[in-house]
Amino acid sequence: MASVYIPVQNSEEEVRVALDQLPKDASDILDILKAEQAPLDLWLIIAREYFKQGKLEQFRQILEEGSSPEIDEYYADVRYERIAILNALGAYYSYLGKIETKQREKEEHFILATQYYNKASRIDMHEPSTWVGKGQLLLAKGEVEQASAAFKIVLDGDRDNVPALLGQACVEFNRVRYSDSLELYKRVLKVYPNCPAAVRLGIGLCRYKLGQFEKARQAFQRVLQLDPENVEALVAQAIMDLNTHEATGIRKGMEKMQKAFEIYPYCAMALNYLANHFFFTGQHFVVEQLTETALAVSNHGPTKSHSYYNLARSYHSKGDYEKAGLYYMASVKEVNKPNEFVFPYYGLGQVQLKLGDFKSALANFEKVLEVNPDNSETLKVLGHIYVQLGQTEKAQEFMRKATKIDPRDAQAFLDLGELLISSDPVAALESLKTARTLLKKGGQETPIEVLNNLGVLHFERGEFEVGAVSQEYFGSLYAVVLAQQTFREALGDGIWLAFIDGKENPPPVDASASNLQYKDLHLFQHLEKEGRVVDLPWNKVTTLFNMARLLEQLHNTETASILYRLILFKYPDYIDAYLRLAAIAKARNNLQLSIELVNDAMKVNQKCPKALSMLGDLELKNDDWVKAKETLRAASEATEGKDSYDTLSLGNWNYFAAVRNEKRNPKLEATHLEKAKELYTKVLAQHSANLYAANGAGVVFAEKGHFDVSKDIFTQVQEAASGSIFVQMPDVWINLAHVYFAQGNFALAVKMYQNCLRKFFYNTDSQILLYLARTNYEAEQWQDCKKTLLRAIHLAPSNYALRFDAGVVMQKFSALTLQKEKRTADEVRLTVSELGNAVRVFKQLSASAASNLHFYGFDEKKIDTHVEYCKHLLEAARVHLKNAEHEEQKNRHKQEALRQMALAEEARRKAEEQRKFQLERRVREDELKQVRQQEEHFERIKEQWKSSTSGSKRRDRSEIDDEEGGNSEKRRRKGGKRRKKDKHSRSRYEAEDVEAEMMDDQEELEDENAKMNYGEPAAQINDQDDYAAEENARDPLAAAGLEDSGAEDEVAPESAANRRSRAWSESDDDEQLDRQPEPGEIRENYADMPGSDRVKLDEEGAINDDD
Amino acid sequence: MKLAGLKSIENAHDESVWAATWVPATEARSALLLTGSLDETVKIWKPDDLILQRTNSGHCLGVVSVAAHPSGHFAASASLDSFVRVFDVDTNNTIATLEAPPSEVWQMRFDPKGTILAVAGGGSASVKLWDTATWNLVATLSIPRPEAPKPSDKNSSKKFVLSVAWSPDGKRLACGSMDGTISVFDVGRGKFLHHLEGHFMPVRTLAYSPTDPRLLFSASDDAHVYMYDAEGKTLIGAMSGHASWVLSLDVSPDGAAIATGSSDRTVRLWDIGMRAAVQTMSNHTDQVWGVAFGPAGGPGRLASVSDDKGISLYDYS
Repeated sequence: MASVYIPVQNSEEEVRVALDQLPKDASDILDILKAEQAPLDLWLIIAREYFKQGKLEQFRQILEEGSSPEIDEYYADVRYERIAILNALGAYYSYLGKIETKQREKEEHFILATQYYNKASRIDMHEPSTWVGKGQLLLAKGEVEQASAAFKIVLDGDRDNVPALLGQACVEFNRVRYSDSLELYKRVLKVYPNCPAAVRLGIGLCRYKLGQFEKARQAFQRVLQLDPENVEALVAQAIMDLNTHEATGIRKGMEKMQKAFEIYPYCAMALNYLANHFFFTGQHFVVEQLTETALAVSNHGPTKSHSYYNLARSYHSKGDYEKAGLYYMASVKEVNKPNEFVFPYYGLGQVQLKLGDFKSALANFEKVLEVNPDNSETLKVLGHIYVQLGQTEKAQEFMRKATKIDPRDAQAFLDLGELLISSDPVAALESLKTARTLLKKGGQETPIEVLNNLGVLHFERGEFEVGAVSQEYFGSLYAVVLAQQTFREALGDGIWLAFIDGKENPPPVDASASNLQYKDLHLFQHLEKEGRVVDLPWNKVTTLFNMARLLEQLHNTETASILYRLILFKYPDYIDAYLRLAAIAKARNNLQLSIELVNDAMKVNQKCPKALSMLGDLELKNDDWVKAKETLRAASEATEGKDSYDTLSLGNWNYFAAVRNEKRNPKLEATHLEKAKELYTKVLAQHSANLYAANGAGVVFAEKGHFDVSKDIFTQVQEAASGSIFVQMPDVWINLAHVYFAQGNFALAVKMYQNCLRKFFYNTDSQILLYLARTNYEAEQWQDCKKTLLRAIHLAPSNYALRFDAGVVMQKFSALTLQKEKRTADEVRLTVSELGNAVRVFKQLSASAASNLHFYGFDEKKIDTHVEYCKHLLEAARVHLKNAEHEEQKNRHKQEALRQMALAEEARRKAEEQRKFQLERRVREDELKQVRQQEEHFERIKEQWKSSTSGSKRRDRSEIDDEEGGNSEKRRRKGGKRRKKDKHSRSRYEAEDVEAEMMDDQEELEDENAKMNYGEPAAQINDQDDYAAEENARDPLAAAGLEDSGAEDEVAPESAANRRSRAWSESDDDEQLDRQPEPGEIRENYADMPGSDRVKLDEEGAINDDD
Repeated sequence: MKLAGLKSIENAHDESVWAATWVPATEARSALLLTGSLDETVKIWKPDDLILQRTNSGHCLGVVSVAAHPSGHFAASASLDSFVRVFDVDTNNTIATLEAPPSEVWQMRFDPKGTILAVAGGGSASVKLWDTATWNLVATLSIPRPEAPKPSDKNSSKKFVLSVAWSPDGKRLACGSMDGTISVFDVGRGKFLHHLEGHFMPVRTLAYSPTDPRLLFSASDDAHVYMYDAEGKTLIGAMSGHASWVLSLDVSPDGAAIATGSSDRTVRLWDIGMRAAVQTMSNHTDQVWGVAFGPAGGPGRLASVSDDKGISLYDYS
């Protein structure tokens, strides 16, 4: 072992000091050094030795002693050693300052260091080592430029000064000029090939920074060869290994890191990487320990940031968001530019998101996105934040981008799909479908919510397409089937399948108890008793509810009701299930049950606005006006007036109240109407696009007679309604029809009513039929009117008002026919039969009036008057009929006579012709005889003749006729055929036959007439033709009736006419009476469409009675 | 079980066809189809090509109901003017004209033995029974008023009888009314037995199973078909699926299936065992007012008539 020899003063002896056996107390050595006045370089060697042995205290003690003023005095001429000692102290304090983390101590150290260097400079201004030391100090203080200046001074003097070169290299490295730095290091290596490993470390780092990883690795390798315990090189190599992102590399890297840690436990870099590693292995405690140490030992910004980040991440993953947030924040603060280290921004964003601070989170994620514009995670997160901030469009934009960047990211598609559901169902469906496919491909199970949403989308698409063209019907059917499948997939296995598949049917119940079947839950108790598992996981409730809604829409109401009940059996607080059951019961007119179900729902939530609205609606249907108003008010209050449905309902209430009474109170009516209008307007102000409110407003305008305004409104509403896929609004069609009607545009009104009936009601609404009949009546299309009323009666057999109306129509028609100047016997005959029917109808009404008709407000006397009047008309008609028939008979006789005359004439003419023909024939026969008497060879010429002209043929035939009478019949038939083919070329030859056939024809004609008159069913076809003719004849007459109507009063007894018109108008009132008790037109389906309502314009109000 | 379309005629009548029934075969001819329409005629058709045999006129206002005697010799048709015309199917001779004012006439059915014609009496809240030998009114089965009748008239007008059905043994008669209740009578004693509740909208058609004298099917405007044990007063099952009113219903002769016609324009075939619709025919373009299975013994046939003026004939197997 090396040792130093301290020469003993004034002798040749020396004191040997073994360097590895330096005493613990430096004072011993110091005493020797002072006593022997040892040269200063020995002081330095010993101090350095202490330093090497880590005995810093002793090191400092010796050097401080060595730089004390006495020494200065004593060794005043030994300049270099003194400078060396001062520089050593300066370097020592620089180092202390560098590693010190506490700011104050750090500065104190730096100040001390500066003092020592300055002292050294005072001894010799030009000592390069002092400048190098100063440069190092400045570098440690971070004053890179000044450090560079210091190094330059040295280098200017000696361009190969190794420490200065190293310092400058470090400066260049810090200036991010890695290649310059590399050059300097290289020069150091050339100048001083045996330089310490650290130089090579510098080279390695430069190469690493320059991206020359292989060369960097070699450099580090060399460092380690020279100095196996070089922590920096180890760490650097470990990082490079870790960055290979391969399992073996990472393992190797971690081993190196561990080694580095064992060698020197305070290397912040190693600590950070180790912490990182333990974070991923989940050892959070270790992570915290490591990072806290790293933070303690490092003041390097990026490293600290990394440490904070690790710490934050650890807390984050433990769920301590507050702490995590703080550390992320600290980490972010250490980062100057986000693109240096972006992760803490992401983490901070996440934590802020978690804590609900969307704005700050948004800012942080946007910073991340700036650095990584294609990071789909960030895009997704931003999308989410925008959703939370309500900026759906921006959210969609980000999500779309995310799905584009990573078309295999099922989650992104799911999110996008969910975003799109409300705005673009079709795109949403597509997106969700893609997500499902991706999940399936990945072998993942699709979440139940997603399947649920898919099902709903399919379902809605189905709904949207239903009612469109039939071609699309199948598409919608397909969509519905898909929806069903999807719901099934979402639901999985369970008791519900037995019900959906119809394998399990509810047990028979007593018929009287069946009224309450939708409340019956015994079914499930029964099943449980049987040992079946009746279970319903909470996460499937919504899907099951949707499935039930779908079944309901498919009209499989029974199964739907069972599913709703299953939900209620397990989750008795599920209000919507009660309300759907109530809606089903209501649709089936089981009001009592419906009210009970709504009350059950209200037991769950006293103030449930939906339940209240429904209850109000039911009460209206039950004719409970005052109660209904209160309930609707309560509903409106429950939603604080925000739900327009209730406001609308109240508006409707007011409207119906205005037009309810038979005897209207004009004042009351006006107030109610005004109130209704006010409420509708209020809704419109809130939701300018509320069709129902617009419709209501239109109705009020129509009531007040502003038809043009209301027509505009209705037309707009109708257009809007037919453009929307989810709105079914028959009322506006009806209202529009009413307006057309009131304006006298009957054809359009008829069309409108018919379309509406067909489109919305499966032609089952007798009320609309009544409107239609009324329109027909005003248009004076009596037969149409009658048919329409008969249809209405068929649909609503117990509505006697319709029968009364039918009677009135027949009566009116008959009366008008009889007034006409010209009428055929058939018309009169029809009139008679119509009057017969009218009398019968009125009589029947009168007969049953006593028992059960007062409800319809019939007055027996009034009906009797009708009977009397019809009878009177009937008698008159009979007289007319007699006359007409007489006339007809006369006409027929006349015609017959004329025909006979014509026939006789014809016969005479024919006879004449016959006579002439006979004459001619005789002449010709004579000629023929002459010819025959001629030579035989003439025969052949005659044959030729025959074939060339038809005339000869004919002649020839007639000749045979004469000769062979036996064959004549056959030929005659032949001739008959020819006649049919070519009537005009009828020859005189056949005149006789023709005449005979003509006679036949005429006889047939007569037969037909006869059959027609006696209504013989055999002649049905002719009969029908006849009807058609009648129909044709009637139209112009009906048209004429328009002008004749004024004459009506003259012909009919005046009082009767007045009574009649009064009767009609009263019958209108009757219609209303039964119309008004059912204002419950409020959409039952409201569970899925609140805010919907319908009003029908009452026709009476819209029509100024023409009488 | 399956339906297969055989023949459809458009414009079989000039107006909506409202009623259809099969006339059983006689020695001289096979079974015939009888239809009644708003055009005031009754037409007789020969299956399977639906060749028009005859058109009977003579009704005023629309023909709402037709019924054929089990012998196949005569039939009855009724119209909105409340007249019932009984006529010889082959000659169209009028046998009798029945009326019982002020009672209207809705659905009519001959009892299985053919001795009585039951007629739903509408607002008279009763079913009229006519002797088919003398054509005299032999009994009126009235629905008793509810025990505690409210004074309101609305209630009383509810028991408006629309439909009738005979049990296959002829002992029971059920009638359906506007308010949805079904009343069951003991015909022999002329006594009201009980109500069957469940519907709250008009019951337009009723039919007993030909194989089970207790099993009664009802078709109602509430879009449901109910299956009752008419004796035990129990609701055995409810079948939903139609989108609108169920207007007509018939049970197949083998008792295994029912067919329904609805204002949703479809005809549905239901498997009674499964209590589910097995087939939906949508060849009509308007309300289907009548469905009728061909008589037992003949080939399996189902006819449907509709507001679209058309008739459709199907093979049932």
